[in-house]
Parts: sequence; structure tokens; C-alpha cells
Amino acid sequence: MMNVLSVGAICADALSASLPSGALLLATLADRVPGIFFGLPLVALASLVFAATHHEDPAAIGLATVHWSVWLGGILGIVLAAVLLLGWMS
Amino acid sequence: MPESLEEVGALAQKSPDGMRGPHAAEPSRSLGKRIVAISPDDGSAIDLHNPALAALLAWCVPGLGHMYQGRTLKGRLFMGAILGTFLLGMWLGGGRVVYASWKPGDTRWPFVCQAGAGVVALPALVQSMWLQGSAKQPLFALEFMSPPLSPGQFVSRAYAERLTSTDPDIEADFFFDKPPLRQFRSDQVSLWHRRLGRWFEIGTLYTMLAGMLNVLVIYDAWAGPMGGVDGKAGTGEDRSKKLKA
Repeated sequence: MMNVLSVGAICADALSASLPSGALLLATLADRVPGIFFGLPLVALASLVFAATHHEDPAAIGLATVHWSVWLGGILGIVLAAVLLLGWMS
Repeated sequence: MPESLEEVGALAQKSPDGMRGPHAAEPSRSLGKRIVAISPDDGSAIDLHNPALAALLAWCVPGLGHMYQGRTLKGRLFMGAILGTFLLGMWLGGGRVVYASWKPGDTRWPFVCQAGAGVVALPALVQSMWLQGSAKQPLFALEFMSPPLSPGQFVSRAYAERLTSTDPDIEADFFFDKPPLRQFRSDQVSLWHRRLGRWFEIGTLYTMLAGMLNVLVIYDAWAGPMGGVDGKAGTGEDRSKKLKA
């Protein structure tokens, strides 16, 4: 039984070492905030519509979409981090 | 006064500081009987045709106003993005998240946002008006976009039987027999929440955001792009000040 447990722990360590930290962070986030990934298409949609209502040229719309995605994602990410931090502190 | 769209575009490109001529001072200008906007990207003129009609079409079907103005690519983009999101939200929410209800205790405020998506949300309004009174039945099959029954609500016997046979959440003993009507004794919104869980909220969010973003699309059809001529966002007033400077 001990052997099985220790092999399991070694496997878990190896797995966590091989996974990139970004993937672990995303997995933790998905576990802590159920349904968060359903918000990502909405950020993309809002960025696309904002960009397309500010430009006419398709290339400019594409660039502005990336620009808005970074800003919206960043702001919402900061808010989410603050909420999670407050929840963790309480 | 320039006579053609090409002349407006040429005027717009003359200014050296990114403010490209008098037509950049306002989002849209009258060109004889035509109303044009200036593209923020290349300073070319955009014929807005009839802006009020374009805005109305953009509300009815997202992107249709742009197609009417000949801005086909943006029209298709808006149509796909906004209608796609609205329909995806409807699907995620089990087809129950879009309804209009102004009953005390069940005022459906999200519908105000959802209505921005245009005619796709109108069946909810029709159902809500059609169901005023106790002996009515929903107009469309499967209670499509009909408001939920509230506790104690009286319905016709035919509607109660129809709900019992078609709605998996509702059973025959959910109604008191009060001839000639029947009285609902459960809360249909609670039944939906129990079945759909968080998908109800996610679907509501998707449909609300689709409706709210269509307001921006309507403004774009009415007044042209919101970006400044130099590619940065700015109001007509800002641009007028820069132009005077």
C-alpha cells in the first residue's frame, strides 16, 4: 500500500513539474471559479465589436480587436484577482 | 461645398496633422442630400445613405443597416457575432432565458438589454402581451419565450394540460383545480433554475451582452465609425478643437 502511495506521489510530482505553470494556473482558476471560461468568448466578442465600431479597414479592426482584448482581459483579470484575494483573506 | 464622395475623401486627406479637412470635425456631414462619415483609417468618405433607416435596420437585424449602406464586410461581421452570441446564449439557457415579464416580484430587467438584439427578442414581447389575462395560451409552440408561471397564477384548463404534456418540469399535480380555470401552485422560474443551474445565468449573460453590443452597432450605422481620423478615439468636439488649433 505504501509503495502504491509513494509511486502515486512521485507521479503527481513529475506531472506537476512537466506541466507549464500557465496551465496549472488556468486549471486552478477553472477549479476556483466555475464557468470562468464562458466569459472569454464574451471578452473576445466585446473587443471585436468595439474595434469594428471604431474602424473600417479589416486589418485595423483585427489589430484593434487584439488591443481591446488585452485591455478588457487585463482589467477584468485584475478585478477577478482582487475578488479572489478578498475571498481568500476573509 | 464638395460635390462627390471622392472630393470629400480628398479634402479629408489634405490636412498634415492627421486632421484631414473640415469633414473630420464631426462624425458625419451632409453632402448635398447625402450624409457621409470619414473613415478613421484612410480618410475616405463613407456614404451613410439614410442614417435613421440604417439605424432602424441595424436594430431589427444586427448588421443589416451596414449592408444597406454598402458596408458589407462589417455587416456580416456584426450579424455573425451578435446573432451568433444571442443564439448561443439561448441554447446554453435551454431556450428559457429570453422572456419579458413585468409582474410584481418577477420583473425581468435583463430583457431590456436583450431587446437591443432586435427582432430575435421580439417574440418574448409578443408572448408577454398575448398572455395578459388568465385564459390565454402562448402564441407560439412549446411556450417559446413565454414568461414563466408564478405561484398562484390562474391559467386556462387547456394551457395547463398543454404544459403538463409538453414541459418536462411540470406535472399534473402542480395545478389546483379551480373550475373553470386551474391555479398553478409552484414557481416555474425555480423549476428552470433547478434544471439548468448556472447555465441559466450564463445564457442570460450571453443574450444580454449581445443586445447591449448591438447598441454600439446601431450607433455605428447611424453616425459612422467612432474612432478619430488619426485612428484614435475622439469626439467631434475634440476634433473641432484640434482642427482650430
